[in-house]
Amino acid sequence: MSHKAVAIKPADDPAFQLPASLAGLSLPMIIGGIVALVGGAFFSNSAIGGRFGMSSYLVAYMYCLTLAIGSLFFVLIQHLTRAGWSVVVRRVAELMMIMVIPLALLFIPIAVSAYTGSLYAWSVEGYQADHGIPDAIWKEKSLWLNPNWFVFRSLIYLTVWCGIAAWYYRGSQRQDETGEITITEKLQARSGPAVIAFAFCTSFAAFDWVMSLAPMWFSTMFGVYIFTGSILSAHCAICLFSFLLQRAGAMRDEVTVEHYHDLGKLIFGFICFWGYISFSQYMLIWYANIPEETHWFYTRSTDGWFNVSVLLMVLHWGLPFAGTMSRHVRRRPWLITSWAAYILVLHLIDLYWIIMPEAGVGLGGATGIIATLVCVIGMVALMLGLMLKLAAGTRVVAVRDPRLGESLAFENF
Amino acid sequence: MSLAIPNGLDNSNDRPGQRAPLVLGDTNYHSITEAVCKIAEQPPSRAWVIGFLVSVHLATMLGLCIAYLIYTGVGVWGNRAPIFWGWPIVNFVFWVGIGHAGTLISAILYLFRQEWRTSINRTAEAMTIFAVVCAGTFPGIHVGRAWLAFWLAPYPSLNLWMWPQFRSPLLWDVFAVSTYATVSLLFWYMGMVPDLATFRDRSKNPFRRAAYGVLALGWSGSSRHWMRYEKAYALLAAFAAPLVLSVHTIVSFDFAVSQVPGWHTTIFPPYFVAGAIFSGFAMVITLMVPARSIFNIEKLITIRHLENMCKIILTTGLIVGLAYGTEFFIAWFGQVPEEKFAFVNRAFGPYWWAYWTMIACNVISPNIFWSKKARTTPWIMFVVSIFVNIGMWFERFVITITSLSRDYLPSAWAYFSPTWVDWCMLIGSFGLFFTLFLLFCRLMPIVNMAETKATLAKELHMAHADHSHEGDH
Amino acid sequence: MTESQPKPQTVADDKKVHGVVAEFTDVDSLLAACRRVRDAGYTKADAFTPFPVHGIDTALGIKPTILPWIALAAGLSGTTIALLMQISLNGQTDLFEGIQYPYIISGKPFISLPAFIPVTFELTILLASFGTFFGMWALNGLPRFSNPMFTSPRFDRVTDDTFFLFLDAKDSRFDEAGAKALLGELGGEYVEPVLEDDSSKVIPKGLLIALATVICLSSIPALAVLRMRVTKSSSPRFHIFPDMDFSPSKDAQQTTTLFADGRAMRPDVPGTVRRGEMDWDLNFKTGIDMDKLASIDPPRAAQLVAMQSDVAVDGEDEVVSEAGADEPAEEQDGEAAEASEPTAETSAAPVTADNTPWLSENPLELSEEALARGQQQFNIYCSVCHGMNGRGNGLVNRRAQKILATTWTPPSNMHDPTLYSDVYPDGKLFSTITNGVRKMPGYASQIKAKDRWAIVAYVRALQVSQNASLEDVPESERTKIEREQAEVQAQLKAAAEAEAAKAAEAASAE
Repeated sequence: MSHKAVAIKPADDPAFQLPASLAGLSLPMIIGGIVALVGGAFFSNSAIGGRFGMSSYLVAYMYCLTLAIGSLFFVLIQHLTRAGWSVVVRRVAELMMIMVIPLALLFIPIAVSAYTGSLYAWSVEGYQADHGIPDAIWKEKSLWLNPNWFVFRSLIYLTVWCGIAAWYYRGSQRQDETGEITITEKLQARSGPAVIAFAFCTSFAAFDWVMSLAPMWFSTMFGVYIFTGSILSAHCAICLFSFLLQRAGAMRDEVTVEHYHDLGKLIFGFICFWGYISFSQYMLIWYANIPEETHWFYTRSTDGWFNVSVLLMVLHWGLPFAGTMSRHVRRRPWLITSWAAYILVLHLIDLYWIIMPEAGVGLGGATGIIATLVCVIGMVALMLGLMLKLAAGTRVVAVRDPRLGESLAFENF
Repeated sequence: MSLAIPNGLDNSNDRPGQRAPLVLGDTNYHSITEAVCKIAEQPPSRAWVIGFLVSVHLATMLGLCIAYLIYTGVGVWGNRAPIFWGWPIVNFVFWVGIGHAGTLISAILYLFRQEWRTSINRTAEAMTIFAVVCAGTFPGIHVGRAWLAFWLAPYPSLNLWMWPQFRSPLLWDVFAVSTYATVSLLFWYMGMVPDLATFRDRSKNPFRRAAYGVLALGWSGSSRHWMRYEKAYALLAAFAAPLVLSVHTIVSFDFAVSQVPGWHTTIFPPYFVAGAIFSGFAMVITLMVPARSIFNIEKLITIRHLENMCKIILTTGLIVGLAYGTEFFIAWFGQVPEEKFAFVNRAFGPYWWAYWTMIACNVISPNIFWSKKARTTPWIMFVVSIFVNIGMWFERFVITITSLSRDYLPSAWAYFSPTWVDWCMLIGSFGLFFTLFLLFCRLMPIVNMAETKATLAKELHMAHADHSHEGDH
Repeated sequence: MTESQPKPQTVADDKKVHGVVAEFTDVDSLLAACRRVRDAGYTKADAFTPFPVHGIDTALGIKPTILPWIALAAGLSGTTIALLMQISLNGQTDLFEGIQYPYIISGKPFISLPAFIPVTFELTILLASFGTFFGMWALNGLPRFSNPMFTSPRFDRVTDDTFFLFLDAKDSRFDEAGAKALLGELGGEYVEPVLEDDSSKVIPKGLLIALATVICLSSIPALAVLRMRVTKSSSPRFHIFPDMDFSPSKDAQQTTTLFADGRAMRPDVPGTVRRGEMDWDLNFKTGIDMDKLASIDPPRAAQLVAMQSDVAVDGEDEVVSEAGADEPAEEQDGEAAEASEPTAETSAAPVTADNTPWLSENPLELSEEALARGQQQFNIYCSVCHGMNGRGNGLVNRRAQKILATTWTPPSNMHDPTLYSDVYPDGKLFSTITNGVRKMPGYASQIKAKDRWAIVAYVRALQVSQNASLEDVPESERTKIEREQAEVQAQLKAAAEAEAAKAAEAASAE
């Protein structure tokens, strides 16, 4: 271990500020994002009809939300394990995780849809009769799947996430100013319970918001499945944003090839984990072959979805698995960042594949796909705009974290 | 050359930004060698001898039970319709689970650069191998005609005119467990070679020297060798990490691909893996807490190591608890009557006592580790680790037996009662495990000296760098 | 591994010098020395350390290893082998002559990729691990038990706490004096030449003999197994586990000490009712009008009731009553046989009068469906002997005639007038099917009562059909039948002509 004593730059060094070129993008992105989001949702709703419009919105929402809560988990786990290497990229994750607060507001259309029946099949009048579900079963189902209780639970999840995110964000910000070591200690101490609350909320939010799109379907692993996509995409986004920030001129010396190497390893690991979880879920349902469960996969193996399923298997697992296996790839920042960007696209397709078949109109055709894409781009732009606005008022690295030195000097072996 | 710790042997507190040392006391390279080699070089202590005799007796009892079983037939077990997977499978899953911590510590913690693994990984790996030996025994004898177990191998048999059935999860299990045993053995042995060379070079007795010399393969410590060795170690770690996951996943497939209520649930793979890690770490604590004080290696296996393991136990215990909850919730949410019944039956049926023992031991007892004091007090963690071991055995009992005892055919429902052979085999498997473990303690380097020295070198270097850094100011 | 001390220079002169080695006591000075040695142009210098020293690769200029590629290749071959193995062995290929295993398991296709993934994964990991493990030792040239480095006893501490830097004599830059000077200058202690290991390399004979003995002994079981595989023996096999080879299960008519009545076969538990037979009455099951039987032959009626309901007539002599219950059945069969069946030898008229009040009407509600069922059941169970048309010319009978089976009793011709319903009531026919007659076994256990009645109905239909004239057929069908008849006759004629022509041709050809 050749321990290079890397000098820590002063907190007000320009390397820690958001480059002006990026800061200027904030407002256009916010405005453009809102326009695209609203436009996309309306276009999707009017062009395809049915529950497709709100489903497009849900895809966009879940895409941003998974990134945000994935980042939240990243931050929590770094504190929980007292990690040193990640300090230089942690602020990027913190900026992403705090986006759960605007996302909580963006949940309102989904909450409304639970009453109007424009998204969830269980909230559509006559669902029980159309599907011949016995009264006794539907009565118990409705105990869980009814609008009031649904919205109440959603509020709990959002409150917990926002609470944790805000608390960790504030702590990190305060440390930027004061440099108190006790703040790190406090953040560390609370990270255990926070992770538990997080895991509980994430798992149940996945059941409520996504799994209940197919009201009669159930899979105990579904929460883990959504979580896996979320943590994978969050790592990719951290890698991508760090790279973009560096290109724009910030934290040039701070984030080194070693950090990309480490992020690359984690991305590789989570690609495998995603493959493992999705395969296990498929395998168990395929093998037992019980009609109550297979219909979810049956929908996804007919009507054009089959191609998407195969594509996901090859492109979301096979190709990036082979692509990011080598150390040589992970140690080239632009290369691993390209893979990260690629995974972020595939994560969107994954969510499209999870959510859209339940809207009941097949793939949605070119119109549907474009409308959904506009929605997603709109929401992502909105989030980016807000993040940039936030970042402009603070620093892009946790400058006074006591482990910054360790992170700067970090080397893989 | 030494790192003095102001507060004695407690390194469980560190200020953020500084790392507490993992090798304590007035330690240098030579004293690490001394401390570890002494364990094998000294005559055995009385505690060791008594422990060994007891273990050998119990292991012999297992051997006799197996002989009796093979001679008489599987009817000597309590397995009766409809519970054909009784204690043997419970014991199998229990031991395979225990066997996960070793490779996990060696491989996954290595990949995550958790340096505290260095002084406990050897013991944990050994524990893995021995647990897998115990685990492998049970399906081996559970096949009925154990002497025909080789039929599981794909070989062109002109007597049978058939091949193994690769679409059966039980065959996947054969491949998974045997691959796991093999790779764990390679990993363990490869990690031990440099330390065996140390034993060789310290041996005065020519026989001992020759024996360790053969095992050490002529290791000389050349930098070129070390370079390839480290690469191989990292690669094996990278292979072993998904392997660990796959093994218990496939064990969970044995249950989950079926349609038995309470078995068929998609969360089984990650939940089994978490449970395996949970029980494995508990077993490591059960072994390490007495071992470190008996063998006097508290400076190498410090409170920090134990505390970290407690934290992992707490985390995985909560994951397992969350999985129990999720299963219950989805059983209700899914509204499949059999599934709903299976879970109510688990908690309030005839096996309620097993279920609540499991909950108490697995979900409730680890919560004591929220307290720093509990995490740093060896006897408390020892007690909790025993509870966790019991709880995890009961988890497998609950899964296997409650689901089978009340399945789709109510007229066939039955209550499982173990026979004396079941009991003796369970106890005997512990005898086998401890016999192997105690032999290992006497014959092999129980702490990875080379890696611990490397950790010490790094800490010395850091301390030096920090010191000179401060001097600059 | 030897005790030989490095001797003074004079003695060492005649030994080969492999290089020069020096000791260091800490990592930093070793690393510094390594860098200096590398910069001085030594390419084959090597350091020996008790633990892997971070950064020493670059300090010595060691090139990275190809080990990952070996692992990758081994892993990929594992994947390939596993997939090929599973697809070929569980698919419908015939890889090894004759051994195939195309079994359908839980409705999965022979080649089901998801089910093959676990084994594929495991074999990939296994072979990749083998590649890594054995590849590493091979690349390192280990095991190697004779190493000149080991000649110096000081070198024992390399696995403890001392670091060694070694300059190889094979290096082009190497000269002994210069190397010693360099190492000394770099702070190395105990700078020494590394001398040829002159201890004996001959393996002791005793060890070899012991090894050979162990190998020979350990191969005995394998050889014994192999020998047994290729030789034949007339003596019975050795039974290691007698109670598994000779299982204590009993055949139907055997005795056992386990039960008080000594019978191995247990009667059904009292009150046992077969699935679907709950509401059939006794008449339906026996083919006898039980009420009438009770009035003319009460004991027999009681026995039949007992037999059918499996309820012991009298608790204390269960055995007797049940054993007795078998008799009337046999008697009845005998009676039936003698009474009405024309046997092969005698074709005699009934000997004893049969006073059993047989049901004369089929209790089954007759329908096309029932008849179709009867036909199907008849064709399955009866036609092998009685023939598809019921004339007693089934395959079994024909075969028996062909081989002149002496014990064979030919099956009845259903179209014999003695079997018509006026002399052989439906109930009796039913009873014959149920309990058998002469060589014919009872079919009660194979055919359900309802289906037996359906067969009775079908046999009646068969009897009518084989003796019917065109007038019996409804008007609407007649022309159709006539047309078909004409067609068949034309075909037969054509066939006969063709045959004749062929024969003539054959004759002329000869």
